[in-house]
Amino acid sequence: MLTRPRDSFIALDVTFAGRGWVIKQDMSDDAADVQRVLAGDVEAYAALVDRYYDRCARFAIRMLGNRDDAEDALQATFLRAYRALNRYQERDRFSAWLYRILVNQCRSVAARRAHRERVFVREEALLLNAPDRSPVWTGEDEEFVQRVLNELDPLLREAFLLKHIEEMSYEEMSALTGVGVSALKMRVKRACDRLRERWERIQHD
Amino acid sequence: MTDSDQHPYVEWIASEARRPVLMDPGARDRIMAAVRAEPVPTPVPAWRRLLQPRVFHMSPAGSALLAAGLVGIGVLTGVATSNRGGRAAEHPRDVAVLPSQPPVSSPDTMYKFVIVAPQAGKVSLVGDFNDWDVAKTPMTRAGQSGLWTVAVPLSAGRHLYAFVVDGTTWVQDPSAPIAPDDGFGHANSVKLVVGGSSL
Amino acid sequence: MSRSRVVGLAALLLVVSLPLRAQEPEQQDRMAKLDIKTRGAVELLVDSAVAEGLPTQPLRSIALLGITRKADGRQIVAAVRRELILLRTARTALGRVDETELTAAAAVLEAGAKPTQLATFKNKQRGRSDLQAFTVWADLITRGVPGEDASSAITRLWDEGADDATFVSLWNNVQSDILRGLNPGTALQNRIREAPLRPPTTKGPQTPEGQENARSE
Repeated sequence: MLTRPRDSFIALDVTFAGRGWVIKQDMSDDAADVQRVLAGDVEAYAALVDRYYDRCARFAIRMLGNRDDAEDALQATFLRAYRALNRYQERDRFSAWLYRILVNQCRSVAARRAHRERVFVREEALLLNAPDRSPVWTGEDEEFVQRVLNELDPLLREAFLLKHIEEMSYEEMSALTGVGVSALKMRVKRACDRLRERWERIQHD
Repeated sequence: MTDSDQHPYVEWIASEARRPVLMDPGARDRIMAAVRAEPVPTPVPAWRRLLQPRVFHMSPAGSALLAAGLVGIGVLTGVATSNRGGRAAEHPRDVAVLPSQPPVSSPDTMYKFVIVAPQAGKVSLVGDFNDWDVAKTPMTRAGQSGLWTVAVPLSAGRHLYAFVVDGTTWVQDPSAPIAPDDGFGHANSVKLVVGGSSL
Repeated sequence: MSRSRVVGLAALLLVVSLPLRAQEPEQQDRMAKLDIKTRGAVELLVDSAVAEGLPTQPLRSIALLGITRKADGRQIVAAVRRELILLRTARTALGRVDETELTAAAAVLEAGAKPTQLATFKNKQRGRSDLQAFTVWADLITRGVPGEDASSAITRLWDEGADDATFVSLWNNVQSDILRGLNPGTALQNRIREAPLRPPTTKGPQTPEGQENARSE
């Protein structure tokens, strides 16, 4: 059985995107690692985890507002991804494929948390707004920013994060979330509006 | 990627949020530990992959029942655990959900409840129609198939129910919708009886 | 005398003096299994329901279920009280509807939907039943579909005139996807795109896409 060294090109994935041909070189590492895992080399999965964990962790924390929930979502994401590796098709970008799982796991964790915590009688804002654990933050600014993000409606927050933190295109976001591009644009715009409104309020306090 | 008219405050939030986060270093090890405990995913031939999104796996017991023309039944080939906290019970991998059909009902609206539980010693039907009394509606085992059945009259409306296996284990009907946790740790199944037909 | 004793006795007296609300003798026997304080508290809650014109059978049923489950008295009272509150909230959201519909709506709230989201079902057309919609709605959230997603999907389908068969079909598909291991939220998103937006109806015009607002009336 041929073992492929990690950083060699096996195949250049060439697709027609937009107005030109795009060669997706970064796929070779991911695809190679996936192949190795499917061939039985479980430890090859560690390479994928290493490559994506920090980025996914950042999204999960910003989305969920606390470390414990983020860890739950991350664990579930990488496990599900592992189980579904045989369904990953090389023409997809691995990061997009992984992110689809991550976004859904974050939603699940958030839903479970809301179910646990809610007080059903009152018509209240979504409980996801309130961080319920004290996370270990690295600085005051980060805590402030997270609090601001937590105030956003989850769907708006999700769209904002994917666009401005993960810096995805609307097409990628649409493929990932299953939501239409115009709806996503609207959500991002609304998120920015809310953030701006908050700024105005601070100004006038 | 910022819009040309991006507000500086928004841009600041975004750039702060883009900073890397500090995660517990052990987390990745825990992931790999969990991964090692899993069966290795086996590659699927490309032609099979095309079919995958719509393939619906049925257990051997389920297939047999389908062949026998019995539909609208929840097939439980392992005993599900009663759940905690109102979440749906973890279904054993080989539960099949077969499409429902209108029940065979006589004019006085008798409804037949069916569950497949081959390992059970006894099974009872409990619900709001029998005051949740385990003693009131024992089910009968039909032959070797592990099929348990009972017929009860049901009034029009919404009914909650569950199966109690061996006196202790509460089981949902896999082919019926569920209601949220009843306050005692189980999400019961729902049967709607509306003018002679049911879900 | 300690406070709890006083309350206990008061409850006992009330139990004795309250005409025990209409219930079958068998139910009465089973309710007798509750300790006196619990029984008293439950009967008080039932009495509140009567006073407010809310159904009492669901409350008793919960108490009986608690007895079967061998739950302790406080848990039973809490469950009955919670159901009373849910019924009350559902009544506020939906207005005067029958007991079946109210309990189904209460389950939707219990699962996590917001009362405002029930508003779209108020004043529905004659002959149109929301039981199937409510049942599927509560089920989806209980199975792990994010509350907002489930609520907006169900209310949208209802607004667009979906019939019972559409809700049943949606439930069947989403549930089998979840059983196959698909994330519940994803399962709903996938299937809601397939759900016919405009079910066959004899009334009202239909556009080719069936999406424009051809409400049946």
